[in-house]
Amino acid sequence: MEFLTNLLPHLVNGVSLGLLFALIALGFMLIVGVMETINLAHGSMFALGMYVALFIVAPKLPALAPAVEWYGTLPLGTRYGVALLLAPVIVGIFGMLLELCMRRTYGKDPLYGLLLTFGAALVIEELIRVIWGSNEKQLPLPDAISGAFMLGDLLYARYRLFASGFAIVMIVLLWLFLEKTPYGAMIKAGAHDSEMVRALGINLPRLRLFVFALGVGLAAIAGVVMAPIWGIRPQVGVDAVVPAFLIIVLGGVGSLWGAVIAGLMVGMVVGLSGAYASEWSLLSMYLLFIVVVTFRARGLFGRKSVLDA
Amino acid sequence: MNAIDNERNEPPINTSRRRILKVSALALATAGAYGVAPFFGPWKHNHAWSQAGQKKPLVLGLTMDASGQYAASGMDERLGAMLAIKEINAKGGVLGRPIEAIHMDSETTPATGSRVAERLITRNEAAFLIGALHSGVANAISQVAQKYGCIFLNTNSSSPTEAGKDCHRVKFVWDGNGTNFALAIVKNAMAVNGKNWVLLTNDYVWGHQTSKATRTIVEANGGKIVEELMVPQNTRDFSSYLLKIQQIKPNVVAAAIGGDDIKALRQQVVQVKLNKSPAWINNQQDWPDVYGLGPDAIFGVFGTNWYYRLDLPGVKEFVAAYQTTYPGVQIRVPGNTYYNGYMATRELLRAVERAGTTNNIKVIKELEALKVSARDRMQDFDAYMNPVTHQLQQTIYMATYNDAPAEKDDIFKILAKLPPKDVEDPEAPTTCKLESYEATPTYEM
Repeated sequence: MEFLTNLLPHLVNGVSLGLLFALIALGFMLIVGVMETINLAHGSMFALGMYVALFIVAPKLPALAPAVEWYGTLPLGTRYGVALLLAPVIVGIFGMLLELCMRRTYGKDPLYGLLLTFGAALVIEELIRVIWGSNEKQLPLPDAISGAFMLGDLLYARYRLFASGFAIVMIVLLWLFLEKTPYGAMIKAGAHDSEMVRALGINLPRLRLFVFALGVGLAAIAGVVMAPIWGIRPQVGVDAVVPAFLIIVLGGVGSLWGAVIAGLMVGMVVGLSGAYASEWSLLSMYLLFIVVVTFRARGLFGRKSVLDA
Repeated sequence: MNAIDNERNEPPINTSRRRILKVSALALATAGAYGVAPFFGPWKHNHAWSQAGQKKPLVLGLTMDASGQYAASGMDERLGAMLAIKEINAKGGVLGRPIEAIHMDSETTPATGSRVAERLITRNEAAFLIGALHSGVANAISQVAQKYGCIFLNTNSSSPTEAGKDCHRVKFVWDGNGTNFALAIVKNAMAVNGKNWVLLTNDYVWGHQTSKATRTIVEANGGKIVEELMVPQNTRDFSSYLLKIQQIKPNVVAAAIGGDDIKALRQQVVQVKLNKSPAWINNQQDWPDVYGLGPDAIFGVFGTNWYYRLDLPGVKEFVAAYQTTYPGVQIRVPGNTYYNGYMATRELLRAVERAGTTNNIKVIKELEALKVSARDRMQDFDAYMNPVTHQLQQTIYMATYNDAPAEKDDIFKILAKLPPKDVEDPEAPTTCKLESYEATPTYEM
């Protein structure tokens, strides 16, 4: 009984971690699933989201000091809310620029796209260093979501509860968008049969641009949400892109629920191993990956690609 | 879902989802978990030794990390080394020769450290190598350096093994090590906080050795290590560790965590308000890992070998030189990693000048006999190189957060200062077996 009592907080923590992992993977999943493009700049967009949010919450613009001073008088919660809304839009515009550059690589060897996004990742990381410097930054949090609460007889960060809830909201919103709106239908149709979609008069390049911006915007949202947990530094993107890649392959490429379930599994494995076999906590996600892919190469919910047939 | 088709009539490419994933996985593996700027090799060897007598520049190979877990500290120590070089060049260089520095990123990765060292020695003809944060990287570099007889200064890597079982004739260690800091902190922390300890250990050589030193002292003084939690490098989420610590309810958590990992840990500890209880000690706190984190996150007691507000001769001038030379850097005052980078480089170049030659064996002998006054070191006690272990024995400071700062950057309060004899690593001389001079390749650049 005592074992179960001790285990319970770690299970809750595993679910929370899993939701955050899923959130990190959502944008990556969307771009890979719909466009079959591996966006290696996903992590850099994640990092850029953090920095843009930091700029929105605590701007430093000496040239506009009076305006900045007035803006600083707004409640932190308001500025944080603005950051959550605006950061993905701004980073999404970067995503659009990247997609425009990527058009020349479509239909060619995937290495071209990979190299381009890899190069973009390097450029963005250096851009961040130039603008914000290499030092660690912190995103200030409103009081309502900072501090701790009692999880049984243990303290747990209130922000994690908020972040997990936010991840659930984002997952549901993305699902509703893809499944219940005409835009979602267009995206899925474009992925299944682009010839037919084009014949129906839908502008495919614009659709692709939109999907890429949405994916990058999701990376930025994940960055904003993870900033208070992981901290903000230029190289933080690498910490996001590797688990994101693992999760979408584990869940099955292109599957929203696959990414969510895989994220939860990874979170649970990392959380439990952190508590009971701590030296395995990072390795555990890779072991899980090996086990699943050994028995099901397409991942948990992956469908066989037409191109593979 | 399938991919959106190519609009243009490009020739068909044999592209499948599996191929894309394979290539991506390869790319990710190349990019590595430690940074997105991989270092490719191998390098062709075509070195030319024995160029003594020529008034050509003396090349120093800087092997500091610029990416990975210790990127921030790597940059900091590089600035220190560069200032020392600048000052000596301003005085006419060494032996009448200007100093040139070539930096290559060792990426906080031992394999890259080896490649970088090999390349700097064999292709760039570096006379000496300087720089290390990660003990695995330092060990890797020093093995290559020993192969060529190239003197290597381990500036900031503090695993006790560096001057213990992994010591080398060509390697000199300039930072305090995990045992030095543990000796300075642990006994006192036991008396103040209690005897049940949890060790939080970065899962690599520095973490292991530092926690081992802590364990030895705790157990020797009647304390108990109730749990040791291993923290893999690049861990970003500490929630499960923090829950576990609460379940164990120790008196003290002794962390041997460094680089980006300690930044994340400190922030997450504050989020769950565990920064006040239990008591925390962090074996050694590097300045770039704590600078800018905010007062709440600088909790616990920790060790360091230098602080920018030590009330000692030369410190103010040293800080001013840093600020004048590097006006744009975000760390506005120098810290321990910068200091070690500066001091190591300066002492090496002075040793070359004293030796009157770049002959490595003669320079090694100069460094082995090194004694630096407290005034020259800007520390409280004289320092000396231990010729048996090649570790500089120096003052160790015990510090905590300064709740009455004189200025914004004054975030440390020095609690105690210990002379080198009081914190000397007793095990190192028994485990360190330096290669003989005869077995060390000799060269002159």
